[in-house]
Amino acid sequence: MLDKLLPIPAQVFVGAIVVVAVVHILLGCVTLLIYMERKVSAYAQDRIGPNRTGFDFGLPFLKALFRNFGFWGLGQSLADGLKLILKEDYRPRGADKYLFTLAPMAAVIPALIVWAVIPWGGYVNVGDITIGNTLVVQGGRALVAAADLNVGFIYLLAVASLGVYGVTLGGWASNNKFSFLGGLRCSASMISYEVPMGLCLLSIVLVSGSVSPQTLIEQQVANGWHVLAMPLAALLFFTCSLAESNRAPFDNAECEQELVGGFHTEFSSMRFALFMLGEYVHVAAGSAFIVLLFFGGYHLPFVALTEPSAVGPLAAFVKFNVFFVKAALVVLLIMMVRWTIPRLRYDQVMKLCWNALIPLSIALVVATSIMLFIGWDMWWALTAMNVALGGAAMFIFHAMPHPPVNRRIPLAGSRFSPLPGEVVRTGAVGVARTESGVAMGASGTVSLH
Amino acid sequence: MTAIPESQILRISRKRLDPLENAYVPAIIKGFGTTFRHLFTSFGQSKIPVIGASKTSMTMQYPEERKEHKRPEQGGMQVSNFRAVHRLNKDDAGRVKCVACMMCPTICPANCIHIEAAESPWDDREKYPAKFEIDELRCIYCGMCEEACPVDAIELTPQYDIVGRTRQEMIFDKNKLLEIYDATIDRKPM
Repeated sequence: MLDKLLPIPAQVFVGAIVVVAVVHILLGCVTLLIYMERKVSAYAQDRIGPNRTGFDFGLPFLKALFRNFGFWGLGQSLADGLKLILKEDYRPRGADKYLFTLAPMAAVIPALIVWAVIPWGGYVNVGDITIGNTLVVQGGRALVAAADLNVGFIYLLAVASLGVYGVTLGGWASNNKFSFLGGLRCSASMISYEVPMGLCLLSIVLVSGSVSPQTLIEQQVANGWHVLAMPLAALLFFTCSLAESNRAPFDNAECEQELVGGFHTEFSSMRFALFMLGEYVHVAAGSAFIVLLFFGGYHLPFVALTEPSAVGPLAAFVKFNVFFVKAALVVLLIMMVRWTIPRLRYDQVMKLCWNALIPLSIALVVATSIMLFIGWDMWWALTAMNVALGGAAMFIFHAMPHPPVNRRIPLAGSRFSPLPGEVVRTGAVGVARTESGVAMGASGTVSLH
Repeated sequence: MTAIPESQILRISRKRLDPLENAYVPAIIKGFGTTFRHLFTSFGQSKIPVIGASKTSMTMQYPEERKEHKRPEQGGMQVSNFRAVHRLNKDDAGRVKCVACMMCPTICPANCIHIEAAESPWDDREKYPAKFEIDELRCIYCGMCEEACPVDAIELTPQYDIVGRTRQEMIFDKNKLLEIYDATIDRKPM
C-alpha cells in the first residue's frame, strides 16, 4: 500500500510543509494583528494602547519571575483569547441551530483557503530524499505554495466570493433584525465590489498574459512592478479589497453606529472569535494579494536572492520573509485607512461602487486592451494611460449631473412636511404651559396651508 | 409660539466641489499625512514619563502617574481644594475635634452622615460623637459639611482613590475617619 503512494512528488512535499507553516504562522499572526490594530489605533489617536498585559496571568510567582514587566502589552491578545474561550457559548432563542454553528466556520474557511495559491517563495529545487533504501520524495522543481495552480486568480475570485456566506448566514441565523440587516448589507456590498475587483484583476491578467501567480511575479520582475505600470488598477483593487474584507470605511456589515454590532451581535465566545479570526485572515489575505499583484510578490530590486532564478532553500526562506513583510506593511496601511477616512453611509458605499468604481474599472480594462492591441505594452506607456484615465475620470465624474446629496427626505405627515391641509403644532410646548398654566390652546396652533 | 417664519430661514446651497476635490484622492492622501504623523510621533510614550516632560499623548499612566502630579490645566487636580474622602480632625491633645452639634448631618444634601452624640468626657465641651458614620457611597462630595462645621472638625481631603469590597466597608466610622486624618495630615495641613 505504502509502496504505491511512494515516492511523493516534490510539489506535494513542499506544499505540505508550506501548508503547515503558513496556517500556523497565520493563526499566530492573527493575535498579533489584533494587538497591532489596537496599537496602531491608539498611536494614530495619540493614545498609548495596551502596554501592561504581560504573560504573568496574575500569578504571583510569574510576576516575580518577570519582575512585573508588561511585555509592551503583548499578552493582551492572549488574554482576550482566554476570555473568549471561557465565556458562555450563548445561542439566542429562535436562532437557527445549524446555521448558527455553521456561519462562523463559513466565515473562516474561505479566508483560510485563499492562501493556497500564494507563491511564497517561487520555485525551489528539491533533491531526492531517501529513508533507508526507499525513495520517499522524488526530487524536482516545486513551487513554494500549497498548490501549483495555473489558474490561481480564477481560484482567488471563486473563493473570495464565498466569504460572504459566513456573514450573511450569521446575520440570518441570529434571529435578530439588526444582525439580518448587517448580513444583507454585507452581501449586497460584497457582490457589488466583486465586480470592479474582478475587472481590475482582468486588466492585470491582460498585462501579464497569464492567470498563474508565479508567472505574474516573474513578469513583474522582468518588466517592473505593476504598481508602477497600473497605479489606477492598484488603487481600485485596494479599495475593493477593503470592501471585500469588511474593513472601514466600508464596514457596513458591522457598523457599530447603526446596527449595534451587525451580523455578529448575537455571537459570543469562540463563535465570535471565529468571526474575528475570519476578518483578520481576510485582511491579511487581501494584502497578500495586493502584494502579489502590484508589489512584485517576493521580489526585491537589487537583491539577487529574491530573483525567480534563485531556487535554493535559503532563497525560498528569504523570499518568504520578503513577501511576509510586504504584506504586513499593506496591513498597516489598511489599518491606517480606518483612522483616516470617515466611514461611508450605506447608500454612499453602493454609489461609490456602481457610479465610480465599476465604470472606471470597465474603462481601465478597455483602455488596457487597446494599449496592448496597438502594441504599447511598455510600463511607462501603461502608467501614462492609467494617469490619463484617472485624470479624465476626475473631470467626467465632475461634469456629470450631481443628484442632490444629503437632502432631508421629507417624511410626509411629519411636522417638517405636513400633509396638505394638516394643522401642525410647533414651537416650545413646555414654555407655553408654564406661562399660562394650561395646555397649549388655539393661540399656539398655526396652519401652514 | 409659531413655527419659524419663512423669512428667517436661511437656505444654504452647498459649494460645488472642484474636480480634484470630487476625486477625494488628494484629500485622502493629505489625511494619511495627518494620521501617519500622529502614528510616528506617538512611539515610545508607553513608559512611565518623567513628570512634566512634554509628550503628545495625554494618557495618564495610573497608578504610577497620578492626578496630583499634573497641573489642573493639564488634566491634573488642584490638591489644595480637591474634595474627596472625609476626615475627622484631631485637636492638639489628639482628641476628636467634633462637638456633635449636628450641623453637618443637617446640611448634608445626600443624607449620608449619621452621628450619635454622647456626653463629653472632657471639660471644655458638652457633647462629643459617640458614633460618627459617613456613607462614602451616598456622599456627593459637595463639601457643605466642611463649610457648616463650626469647629473645623470635618474636612474633605485630596485622597480620591478609596476602595472597598462591600457596601458595608464603604461606610466609614469614627476610627476610620480619624485614621484618614493621620494619613492625610501632611498632605493637607489644617
